[in-house]
Amino acid sequence: MGEQFFVYLFELLGKPVVDRDGRAVGKFYDFSMSLNNDIYPRAKSIIVCSGWFPRLYAEIFLVDVLRVEGKIFLKIPASSVMFQAAKIASDFALRRDVLDQQVVDVENKKVVRVNDVHMLKVDQQYHIAHVDVGLRALVRRLDLEPWVDAVIRLFHPAADYLKAEELVSWKNSQVLTLGNQKNVLKLDVARAKIAKIPPVLLADIMRDLDIFEQLSVFRSLSYDVQLKVFADMAPDDKAGLVGLLEDRELVQIISNIPSDEAADFLMTIPRERVQQLMRQMESQASKRLRTLLGFRKDSAGGLMATEFLSLGVNATVADAMNKLKGAVDYPGSFNTIYITDDKGRYVGTTTIRRFINEPAENRVIGTCHPHKVFVYTDDGMEKVALLIEQYKYSAIPVLDENDILVGSITVDDVMEELIAMAWGKYKDQI
Amino acid sequence: MRLIENIKNSPAFRNILMFLAVLGPGIVTGSVDNDAGGITTYSVAGALYGYNLLWTLGPAFIALLVIQEMNLRMGVITGKGLADLIRENFGVKVTAFIFLGLIIADIGNTATEFAGVAGSMAIFGVSKYISVPLTAAAVWILATKGNYKIAERIFLFFSFCLLFYIISAVMAKPDWQEVGGAVIHPQAKFSGEYLSIVLGIIGTTIAPWMQFYMQSAVIEKGITIKDYKFALLDVVIGCVATVVVAFFIMIACAATLNKNGVVIREASDAAMALQPFAGVLAAQVFAFGLFIASAFSATILPLATAFYVCEAFGFEAGIDKRVDEAPQFYWLFGSIVAVAVAIILWPHAPLITITIWTQVINAMLLPVVLLSMIYMVNSPYVMGTYVNNKFQNFIGWTTTVVLIVLTAMLLLSPVVAFFKHV
Repeated sequence: MGEQFFVYLFELLGKPVVDRDGRAVGKFYDFSMSLNNDIYPRAKSIIVCSGWFPRLYAEIFLVDVLRVEGKIFLKIPASSVMFQAAKIASDFALRRDVLDQQVVDVENKKVVRVNDVHMLKVDQQYHIAHVDVGLRALVRRLDLEPWVDAVIRLFHPAADYLKAEELVSWKNSQVLTLGNQKNVLKLDVARAKIAKIPPVLLADIMRDLDIFEQLSVFRSLSYDVQLKVFADMAPDDKAGLVGLLEDRELVQIISNIPSDEAADFLMTIPRERVQQLMRQMESQASKRLRTLLGFRKDSAGGLMATEFLSLGVNATVADAMNKLKGAVDYPGSFNTIYITDDKGRYVGTTTIRRFINEPAENRVIGTCHPHKVFVYTDDGMEKVALLIEQYKYSAIPVLDENDILVGSITVDDVMEELIAMAWGKYKDQI
Repeated sequence: MRLIENIKNSPAFRNILMFLAVLGPGIVTGSVDNDAGGITTYSVAGALYGYNLLWTLGPAFIALLVIQEMNLRMGVITGKGLADLIRENFGVKVTAFIFLGLIIADIGNTATEFAGVAGSMAIFGVSKYISVPLTAAAVWILATKGNYKIAERIFLFFSFCLLFYIISAVMAKPDWQEVGGAVIHPQAKFSGEYLSIVLGIIGTTIAPWMQFYMQSAVIEKGITIKDYKFALLDVVIGCVATVVVAFFIMIACAATLNKNGVVIREASDAAMALQPFAGVLAAQVFAFGLFIASAFSATILPLATAFYVCEAFGFEAGIDKRVDEAPQFYWLFGSIVAVAVAIILWPHAPLITITIWTQVINAMLLPVVLLSMIYMVNSPYVMGTYVNNKFQNFIGWTTTVVLIVLTAMLLLSPVVAFFKHV
C-alpha cells in the first residue's frame, strides 16, 4: 500500500543533481533535517557534494528542489549553488547521524546497525519513517541484492530473507548519546521483538504528521488506497481530516464504499456536515444512507448494506448471469442474488454456485435455497451471526416490518463486529 | 604506620594506582606483536645478518608508537572501536572490503600461531596432534568462561613471560661491544634479500588487525580522557617491550646461528639450532617463549577478529558477555579457531602458501586502514578538539606514507618471488 510514497535513503545517495537548465551540479550526499518536535522529522535541505580532491559541499533547501526522478532536478541555476570545502554544519544530518549508526535495544544491548533509512515522501517533503535494520538492506548496499536473491531463491525459495524487511518505526527510536558515544539509536523495544514489530501503516504515520501534510498525503493517494487508509484511521484522525477535505472529495469517497461503511463513517462526522454532503449526493444513494443512519448500530439494520442484487420471480438463469456480469464493480456481496415479488417482498435466495450449471432458459427461482433464511431490521447481531454459522451462507437478506427486502448483511460485516466484541472481552480479562 | 599513610596519600602513589588501573591494552597489543610470525622474522633476521638489522627496530618503534597513540586517542574520545568508526564514516562497502580481508588474513595468522604452538611443543617432544587441540580448547575455555579482567591478567602474565628471551639472549653470550656498534653505526646493505627482511620486520610489527584490537581494548577497559596520560604510558611501555623482545631475539640468533652460519626458516628451527651453541636450557627457554607467544596470539587474534566484525555490524560482542548474549561473536570466534586448527592438523597443508597470501592481504589492508585512521583522527566531527596537531600529523603522515610504500614493496617482492618459482 502506498509503495510510491516511500523511498530508501540509499537509493538517493549519489544521485546526480542537475540545475534548472539541466547542467550538472553535483551528487546527492545527505539530508539535513529540521529539528523540531515532529515525530517523523522532516528534511530541511539536501546536501550536495562535488569532486573528490578537494571535495566540496553545498546546501540546497528543499523548496529549491523541483522533483526527483532518476536525477534530482533543481528549480535554481547552478550558479546560485554555493560550494564550500568544509562539510555543511548541520544539527542533524541523516547520513552522518543515522545511517550506519549503532542501534541498541531497550536494555542498551547492541543489536545491529542502521542499514538504511526508509523515508516517506510527500509533495517533495521527506520524513524519516523507519530505520531499516535488516540483512537485506545490508546486501542491497553492497550492490549484491540480485545475486544473493538469485542464490537464495535457488536453494530456499521460501526463505524469510526474501520477504522480511526489518523496518523499525522512527517512533520507536530515539537518537541519543550513550556514555561518550554519539548518535546511538535507541529503540524502546527488546531485542527479541524487533523482527516481530510490523512496519507501521501509512495511516499510522499520517496521524503523526501535521494536518496539512495529512491532507496532502491523502490527496496524492490513489483512490483505492485512500479508502484503505481511511478504513485504517482512528476516528479522531478521520474527523480531523474530514474537516479539511472538500465536500466533493468526501462525496466521492462515500458513494464508492459499501453503504454500511459509509453510514458508519457518517456517524463520526458532525450532523450539519452530513446534511450538506447528503444534498450533494445522488438522491437514491442519500436516501439509502438516511435509512441506514436511522438504525441502531448493532441491529441488523445498522449492519446491513443497502446494495444487493435482486431479480423478479420470473427471471431466468440467463438474466441472473447478466446481472452478475454487470455487477463486477459492485461494492456489495457479489455471488448472492435475492428474488423478490412485484411489491419488493422477499421470496428466496440463490447463489452463483446453484445456478451456474443450469440451462439458461430455466427460471432462476427454481435454484433458490430450500430454506428461507432472513432477519428483520431490528434483529440483533447475535441472531445474524447464528444464522450465518448455521446455514454457512455468505450473505443474509434483511427485511423490514412489511417483509420488503431492504438490505443484505455479509459475513465480513458480522465478523468485524464480533472481533471488536471479542477483543473488548479479551482486553477486560487481561 | 605513619609512613604507610603518607605513601598512600602521596600523589605519586595515587598516580601509580591510576596507571595500574589502565595498564593493559598497550602492553598486550605490543606483546601480541611478537607472535609466532614476528619471532620467526626476528630469528631469521638475526641468523642471516647478525647484528646488522638491529637498527630497524628504531623506526619500527616510532611507527608503532604513533599509530597506537592515535588508536588510543580515538578510542578515548569517541568511545567507539575502529571498526565502529570505519563503518560510521565510510559506509558499508569500505567496511565490507576491510573485514572480508581481515577475516581471511586472520584465519591465516591464527593458523601461523598454531603452527608456532606445534613447532615449539615439538621441541619438548609433544606431538602437534596433542598440543594444538589442547591449546585450542584452553583458548575456547578462556574466552567463554573467563571475563575481561581474568583474561587481561593472563595476557599480562604472557607478556611478562616474553622477557624470557632476554635470558635466552644472555645465555647465548653475545659480544655486547659489537651489539652497541651495530646499533650506533648501522651498516645497511642494499641487496634484495636484505631489503625484504627489513620490510618483513616492519610489516610484522605493524599489522592491520592490531589497530582494531588496540582500540577495542581501550573501549572494553573503559578508559576515559582523564586517564589518557596513564594509558599513553601503557602504550609506550608496550612499544618498548615489543622492541626489547625483538632486540633480544635477534641478538640470541645473531650471537649463535649467524656466527656459525646456520640457516633457519622457522622460529622452532631457531630453538633447535640454539641447542649446540647456547645449551639445552637456552633452547628450551627460547621454545617456551615461542609457545607462550603463539598461544597468546592464538587467543587474541580470533577474539579481536570476532570483536571488530561484530562492532562493524553492530552486534553485541566481548568476552564479558555470555554465549547467548553475543551469539554472533562467539560463533565467529569459534569458527576462526576451528578453521585454523584444521589447517594445521591437515597433513601436508600448504603452510608457506598460506603465509604468503596472509602477508599479501595484510599488506593490501594496511594502507586502507591507515588512511581511514588519519582521515578520522583529523575530522573535527569525530574527534572534536582532539584532532591531530601539526606535529602529530607530520609524524602520522610520514609513518603512513613510509608504511604504505614499504608494504607495497613487501607485497610485490614475495609475489614476484612466488611466481618466479612457479
